[in-house]
Amino acid sequence: MGGYGDVQMIDENGLRMDGRKPGDVRPITIETGVIPVADGSCRMTWGTNEAIVAVYGPMEAHPRKIQRQDRAVIDVAYNMAPFSTTDRIRPGFNRRSREISKVTKDALESVVLLELYPRSKIRVSIEIVSAEAGTRCVGLTAASVALADAGIPMTDMVVSVASGKINDVVVCDLNKEEDNYGEADLPMGVLPNTGELVFLQMDGDLSPAEFKQAWDYNVDAAMEVHKLMVEALKGGDN
Amino acid sequence: MSAPTVPNLLRDHLTDLALNDSRLDGRDQFEGRDLKLETGILPRAEGSAKVTMGNTIVLAGVKFQLMTPYPDRPNQGGLMCSCEVRPIAGRHWEAGPPSPEAIELGRVVDRGIRESGCIDVDDLCIIPGEKAWQVILDLHAISDDGNLFDAFALAGIAALRSAIIPAERFEVGEDSPLKVSKKPIMCSYHKVGGRFVYDASYREELGGDERIHITLGDDDHVHSLQKGLKGIFTADEFEEIMEHAKARCAELREIVD
Repeated sequence: MGGYGDVQMIDENGLRMDGRKPGDVRPITIETGVIPVADGSCRMTWGTNEAIVAVYGPMEAHPRKIQRQDRAVIDVAYNMAPFSTTDRIRPGFNRRSREISKVTKDALESVVLLELYPRSKIRVSIEIVSAEAGTRCVGLTAASVALADAGIPMTDMVVSVASGKINDVVVCDLNKEEDNYGEADLPMGVLPNTGELVFLQMDGDLSPAEFKQAWDYNVDAAMEVHKLMVEALKGGDN
Repeated sequence: MSAPTVPNLLRDHLTDLALNDSRLDGRDQFEGRDLKLETGILPRAEGSAKVTMGNTIVLAGVKFQLMTPYPDRPNQGGLMCSCEVRPIAGRHWEAGPPSPEAIELGRVVDRGIRESGCIDVDDLCIIPGEKAWQVILDLHAISDDGNLFDAFALAGIAALRSAIIPAERFEVGEDSPLKVSKKPIMCSYHKVGGRFVYDASYREELGGDERIHITLGDDDHVHSLQKGLKGIFTADEFEEIMEHAKARCAELREIVD
């Protein structure tokens, strides 16, 4: 959080710099089956974010030490392409990517019916090719669609949205400027069928009332995005 | 890349096909797959391209950075070409530091573009000895169904030709297109079932032997060559594929803008 409270990002009509109302989500497109060599895949654009996700497996888990005798493991690799941001990202090891890969894996392992595939591995590769803020949410949401496209059984798809606060106003789905200069960021992973959560992070500063509002925005937005995900999966080639 | 076990059945099948002048997907010996080139597709890159060749898909993005020229070349900027094949591209690609295969891939593509002299590094100088542009071409595989080499080379040159120098963002003048004077094009051949074929698919690569990469510039000047993997080839075989490469590169040069 930059915390530059003096940058005005809400106009006198209560609209944000990109014309959205506080509760609005950026435009989203979802495509499945975009990687011919993968078992399941998804390309998702969310504002000017673009994530491409491939799912491979279930397959033999190696090295063998990662195998679990009673269930499958999910191996998530989240990565931002070097050309995905204004300043180039140097390829290679990076603590942020490692953390996001881990929390994404934790979220997905909570919904996939892992017990059906003992000793195996499901590989989920998330590549962010264009980044605008909220890439972890786009990556996780697109990964759910790719898993469904691969025909992997799940209790539900994870829908992830981040809300936050700018100029003391709680807003849904922060864009780049709002994320840079905003005062808080609350990304959540919601299961639309039950309203349960499998992913939660937060940084910044929110009062209890603001926190409640951000939470509600996320849940409402997740329900909206979920409809698009279902539509994309139904409208696929299969 | 983990070395996959190659079933003898596949090798035998490929040999049979070659004897009947056929291929796994019914193509002729020197027939390429359907090819699609799109440019300007990545909003954060200063130049970008996507190449689809059959089921092989790659992205290329160009970024610019300011650099201090090297002391022995105070009037020159730089060009850097970096290639990554991450696990998204196929089940045979693994996470971790770049494999020798990925490094070879990046370096061969880099040589073809660099040695063609298509980018004049003197042009990239802003203040001699102090400030110059470094052009960075990043190649990113999305789906590997064979012949990433040609796909990368084509996406690379197309992305460079679409690039705009972001001088305004760095406060060193006005934005302008990057000058790219030539069109180096790579053609790759793989020994499959005892003969060289053009634009091999992943299964052909898996059951094949050595490969040869040829980058030709304008007027058929040769800019880079590479023989990879175990195998022996004759001068006559090389002459045959060189003749095909000249014709094919001319066709592909038409596709690049």
